Amino acid sequence: MTEGTEGLLSEKEIRIASECMERALGMGADKVRISLGKSLMELFGTLNGELDKVSHCLDRSMSVGLFVDGRYGSFSTNRLEEEGIEPFLSKAISTVRMLAEDPCRDLPDPSRTAKDAVTGLETGLYDAEYPAMTAEKRLAVAMDAAVFKRHAGEDLVSEEGEYSDSVYDTLLIDSQGLRCRHIETSFDYGVEVHVQDREGKKYSGYWWDSSPKYQGLDAMGCGEVALRRARAQRYPERISSGRYTMVVDNENAARLAAPIARALGGMAIQQKNSFMLDTLGRKVFPEWLTLMDEPREAGAPGARLFDSEGVAALERPVIENGVVKVYFINTYMSRKLGMEPTIEDVMRPVLKPCAAPGIKMSETFDCQAIMNAVGDGILVTGFNGGNSNPATGDFSFGIEGFLFRDGKTVHPVREMLITGNLLTLWNNLLAAGNDYRPCKSKLIPTLAFSQVDFSA
Amino acid sequence: MTKDYYLGLFNVTEDQLQKLSAEGIAGGGSYCDLFFESTSYSDLLLRDGSVAAGGFHIDHGVGIRVLQGDKTGYAYSESTDARAMSQAVRAASKIAAGGGVPVAAVKRPGGSGEPLKGGFPCSGGCPDRYPMDNDWRLSQASMFVPYLEELERKIAAKDSRAEKIIISLNDQVSDILMYNSLGELTHDTRPLASLAVSVVFSWQGKIENKTVSRSFRTGSEMLGPGLLEEIASEAVAGIDERFQARRPKGGQMPVVMGAGASGILLHEAMGHAFEADFNRKGQSIFSDRMGKRICMEGISIVDDGTIAGNRGAVNFDDEGIPGQKTFMVEDGVLTSYLHDRISAGFYGVAPTGNGRRESFRYAPLPRMRATYMLGGDARKEDLIASVDKGIFVDEFSNGQVQIGEGDFTFYVKSGFLIEKGCLTAPVKDINIIGNGPQALADIIGVGNDLVVDEGAWTCGKGQSCPVSCGIPTVLIKNLTVGGE
Repeated sequence: MTEGTEGLLSEKEIRIASECMERALGMGADKVRISLGKSLMELFGTLNGELDKVSHCLDRSMSVGLFVDGRYGSFSTNRLEEEGIEPFLSKAISTVRMLAEDPCRDLPDPSRTAKDAVTGLETGLYDAEYPAMTAEKRLAVAMDAAVFKRHAGEDLVSEEGEYSDSVYDTLLIDSQGLRCRHIETSFDYGVEVHVQDREGKKYSGYWWDSSPKYQGLDAMGCGEVALRRARAQRYPERISSGRYTMVVDNENAARLAAPIARALGGMAIQQKNSFMLDTLGRKVFPEWLTLMDEPREAGAPGARLFDSEGVAALERPVIENGVVKVYFINTYMSRKLGMEPTIEDVMRPVLKPCAAPGIKMSETFDCQAIMNAVGDGILVTGFNGGNSNPATGDFSFGIEGFLFRDGKTVHPVREMLITGNLLTLWNNLLAAGNDYRPCKSKLIPTLAFSQVDFSA
Repeated sequence: MTKDYYLGLFNVTEDQLQKLSAEGIAGGGSYCDLFFESTSYSDLLLRDGSVAAGGFHIDHGVGIRVLQGDKTGYAYSESTDARAMSQAVRAASKIAAGGGVPVAAVKRPGGSGEPLKGGFPCSGGCPDRYPMDNDWRLSQASMFVPYLEELERKIAAKDSRAEKIIISLNDQVSDILMYNSLGELTHDTRPLASLAVSVVFSWQGKIENKTVSRSFRTGSEMLGPGLLEEIASEAVAGIDERFQARRPKGGQMPVVMGAGASGILLHEAMGHAFEADFNRKGQSIFSDRMGKRICMEGISIVDDGTIAGNRGAVNFDDEGIPGQKTFMVEDGVLTSYLHDRISAGFYGVAPTGNGRRESFRYAPLPRMRATYMLGGDARKEDLIASVDKGIFVDEFSNGQVQIGEGDFTFYVKSGFLIEKGCLTAPVKDINIIGNGPQALADIIGVGNDLVVDEGAWTCGKGQSCPVSCGIPTVLIKNLTVGGE
């Protein structure tokens, strides 16, 4: 594959990577892993309906993992001139030799690595129309998607929109014969608007869309959605602190799932810095909760056939009927923990629709349907800061959203906080919708939880 | 380092730079600048008792920006050969279709205002704020391994509950060469190193963690015995309280913010809102407050790039403007935004040296440096004693702000309840939320104990930037505290 066709990596760059591996072996490395990456992004940004910025970003980098005398080090450079490779490797190998021995370091068992990522196109994430994109076409999308002039004279203070498209090309090789490639395109539009109320207070709204295929991008609707979200926040009212049912919309729900995935990571487990310690195989969530990893769905954002070691990605349950089914264990952590390796991280999490006893699921189980089902509570449409303690799962997040009664929003709320423990929160899961946004790589739908502490 | 060192490093000549910048504005642009960067990063990691992970990384390239008024065209190249740079110039110059407002030229400190032609190193007119006795690039990893091992031993010896200790040492040195269509040539060499510790403590079946970091713009001489003892002591400090800590009852209450890291309040509550790009676009909640009182008399807030060795120090910003100390608030009155060349041109003021970027891959933006409040006259003890029911906070992990609304938050890792003027039960893992202008107006006491924090703070604004923050102990009469 050469520059100008599907991939970005040139034959020369691929040859340099292969030669780098051979040279490293010749200079004393026992095993070598090389990741060669290249990306190109073109961006057109608008401010208040006028072109404001253009960017052209071409990146490439070669990362080298060296296993030398029972030791391991990782190195990278974006200087791929052939004359610079040998000094780079020489310094790298001498650096590895200064480190302590680590018998747990190794390449993955070849039987576990991906064999079906040969051309890089197998995930179906490359748009063959990408080379036909022109500056004029990109500019037209950015300008046409802007809504500022359409709403001139209204409450709109500013609108910043960005259209971008990009192509990523990654090749992973190792000295055990691994060769995996991944190529994808991405077409993106995001817009932030600021509006002003009658008292001069400002409110912002953001919306975006993304697709691996140009035809799949819906840029034109984003500005109106962002404007609607900003305007909906005007004239917030304070409410009392207390325990409320919480609904989190599908744009923000992944924020609550991410700490669980991190806590299931091998490093967190091995360092005992995880509130999911000793939960493997145990039922620690409600039985209606099932979280899958579905990385092999062709054409879907987030699809991957291999991880950064080249280990084949598999469809698998992460949490099934409330039972923890997997820790994310790479080769290194496998040896450190004495556990079977899996994969280094969840790749494309999918939370399955569900409802607690007493909550009726409907065919269209979206945010409104869930609000109808739970009756009263607070709808969260944005998080503002916050964090969680990885060791205990205790969390506290700033939120903005709406008070709702009988399934209908009453007024916006802001300057509020939710506080609790992630395990407790997820055990109070009332419902998960079937409305995840297909443009996302983490498919977490609208969620509802009972008994959440809100401070106001 | 001489000008020739930098020109040689990037294999360019002044004549070539002049031609490239002229090419950038030939199509109608009002300004063009070139930012060359060559950065060497190294890292070492101690985990499970040994330094068994490490490496280095090389990043090299040039970012080229063409402005047409306040509109930006940007492109970069990882190669500095003539053909690649010329391609990048053409890509960046697509922004230009006509003339625009000229951007600000550098005014030499105390000088004539003439463009800085022919090179402007720190030795030629400003102090070097990050001299290196021992250049990280000339050091071998093996020199630092014993230091990390000694730090681990010290921590383990201080608290037997320390079950897992991770220590990381990250250093980088960047050689920077800048040239622009005004004919200004500037060069700089910037070290930055961080030593960070993460400890997991286990006690009676419970687990807690603690992180500590120090970061400086200096050479490897920073790794002295004083730093070793300081970090080891802080890594185990307050663990008894952390195991006992609980969530407070949430709601609105007075908050006493301890000296030092509480400067995150200034960074989030006002620093971002004072960055001039947000104001130029009318988005900031402070857009129409210039010259007006925004907090009580006696409060002055600065953003300072001149503290030697500080993580936020700059000899020059990333547009070649000399580093300086900018008073944003003087005696309670908003007096200056933080400017890059674009916003300075827009407002008709001098740039403040806040045009910063993550690397050559990013166009510069107005960014903070070291942001802090000057000390007042109150004693910490008196501020705490004045609170009947509230909390005292002194350790943080992260914060965030919504520019338009002014709503900010920061996450508190540790603190104490204040009951009848005394610190009582420890608290942890709570978020605090407030509104920037209101929080500033609600500061009713400022301590005499200013501390500029030396942790590894990084600001995110679409691109990362090293910063620091500081504050004396302050009393805010009302913030919303997360809790049960």
